[in-house]
Amino acid sequence: MAQPRTELVVRPLSGESLPAILAASTAVQAGFPSPAQDYFDGRVDLNTHLIKDVNSTFIVRVAGDSMKNAGISDGDEVIVDRALTPRDGDVVVAVLDGELTLKRLYIRSEHVLLKAENPRFPDISVDTLSELTIWGVVTRCLHHV
Amino acid sequence: MSNSASNSVLDSASLPESQRRIALVDVNSFFASCERVFDPSLEGKPVVVLSNNDGCVVALSKEAKALGVKMGIPWFKISAWAPSVGLVAKSSNYELYGDLSSRVMSILHEFSANVEVYSVDEAFLELKGTPEQLVAIGYEIKEAIQNKLGLPVCVGIGRSKTQAKLANSGAKKSAGLGGVCNLDTFTPEQIDHIMTALPVDNIWGIARRLSKRLNSIGIHTIKDLRDADPVRIKKKFGVVVQRSLYELRGIDCIKLEGERLVKNQVMYSRSFATPVTTRKQMEEVLAVYAQRVSKRLRKQGSVAGALTCFAGTSRFANEPFHSPYRNAVFSVPTNDPVEILKAASSVLLNCVEDGRKYVRAGIMLHDVSPKSSHQYLDLFTPIHESRQLGEVLDTVMEKHGAFSIGLGAAGFKSPRHWEMKREMLSLRATTRWDELATVHAR
Repeated sequence: MAQPRTELVVRPLSGESLPAILAASTAVQAGFPSPAQDYFDGRVDLNTHLIKDVNSTFIVRVAGDSMKNAGISDGDEVIVDRALTPRDGDVVVAVLDGELTLKRLYIRSEHVLLKAENPRFPDISVDTLSELTIWGVVTRCLHHV
Repeated sequence: MSNSASNSVLDSASLPESQRRIALVDVNSFFASCERVFDPSLEGKPVVVLSNNDGCVVALSKEAKALGVKMGIPWFKISAWAPSVGLVAKSSNYELYGDLSSRVMSILHEFSANVEVYSVDEAFLELKGTPEQLVAIGYEIKEAIQNKLGLPVCVGIGRSKTQAKLANSGAKKSAGLGGVCNLDTFTPEQIDHIMTALPVDNIWGIARRLSKRLNSIGIHTIKDLRDADPVRIKKKFGVVVQRSLYELRGIDCIKLEGERLVKNQVMYSRSFATPVTTRKQMEEVLAVYAQRVSKRLRKQGSVAGALTCFAGTSRFANEPFHSPYRNAVFSVPTNDPVEILKAASSVLLNCVEDGRKYVRAGIMLHDVSPKSSHQYLDLFTPIHESRQLGEVLDTVMEKHGAFSIGLGAAGFKSPRHWEMKREMLSLRATTRWDELATVHAR
């Protein structure tokens, strides 16, 4: 099994030129090697890009349409990071009546609001954030199109 | 959180060896707490988890304990009574517990270079620092696991594993400590007082039978044993009890890592003499470990229902830390090395990356129960595929007869769940796409 010797020329990445040009200097006996293989670190991995902390991140599925105006529909999956500190304007998973519930969080000086993104659902208002159990903060929605 | 965690590790590196301490971190009512992660309605309610086949209670929340439910009681004996007291039962969901366990362990690795996974829900960590620093690290650990996973843990810190264990039970029992207890923060008088209050069978590794014999020579409390004559103890009870005595005095005799048998788990884990760098080598490692761990099972006449398999690179090498933990559930509880190896290889090997320097690996078996309790086993015993696993399997063949590795299809994860009665199974919400937990939008 003789390995074909290869010669590599690497050029800086720019819009016009390919990142690299590879030429095989000897004849290749069985199949042409992929020109990309020496630069190939594996396919784009959604886990790497969509999940910041694999330990604190969970994926849950949405039931209901109260967050429709936030682009989150019935049946979508959302990525939730439990380690993040909830901030004003975040979409959060809150524990309401023992259930995981999706709401938009508003932290105002006078009170804290959990709002659905759909006028048919009433707001939940409490005095301080500590009165709520925020299960996690939604970082992404995997919307079915 | 992870920043402050790594700071503690860095700080401790410069501290003298004399400040080396052992922490025992364990999750409170682990299985029940896992059930609560995706079902917050169980918070504060009495919860029991049942063994494979919904046979008997294998785990219970503190609320269930308070109702007087005992570990091991057959479910049918209390199922009629349960609704009247609000007791909720769950079938064991080892996939969920295994995944959450691996997350816990992975978080713990942020706090120490030397972590020994002791069981599915507890680990010993080596830490360095002043007593106050160690208490602060203890709270950091507790907070990290609470914030990231929603699991409650207790942290006990001492000069030896036995002391760490003792401190941990103190952390659990005394609400005032807030779940973290470092023995070094107590005065010698206070420690005497604590050790006087606890009977000798509260020591890690001292069984009740042994404690009766200790009682017969006047050793009733933990303090009695600590202050006994080590030579006499060794003569009468052997080196193991003598070791406990030294450990109580704060002399660290039981090293981190190794194989042992705890509760209903069996584990085999080792650090390697030289790093393992290829998938092929890792497969060989797993083959050996699968054999050893299954030997332990067979020796005690047990079978296992699920396994966790893990490998790890060094936390402090210049390369990024990599520590895959994977879980598998057997369709039929088994003690067969081939079955165990197949499960371990198929879940772990595709996470093992060629070129990384792995310094440790291990196999942990869960849901261990006596083989005799699985009468249906023979009917469904899988017939193994023949594979070139080398000498290891030759040995296996010699031991079990050629039939044990005969040809045939035997997916360890094949859809055989119908065999098992698991009527109260919660969602495998972190390992199955079709079983993700629901978040309500209403």
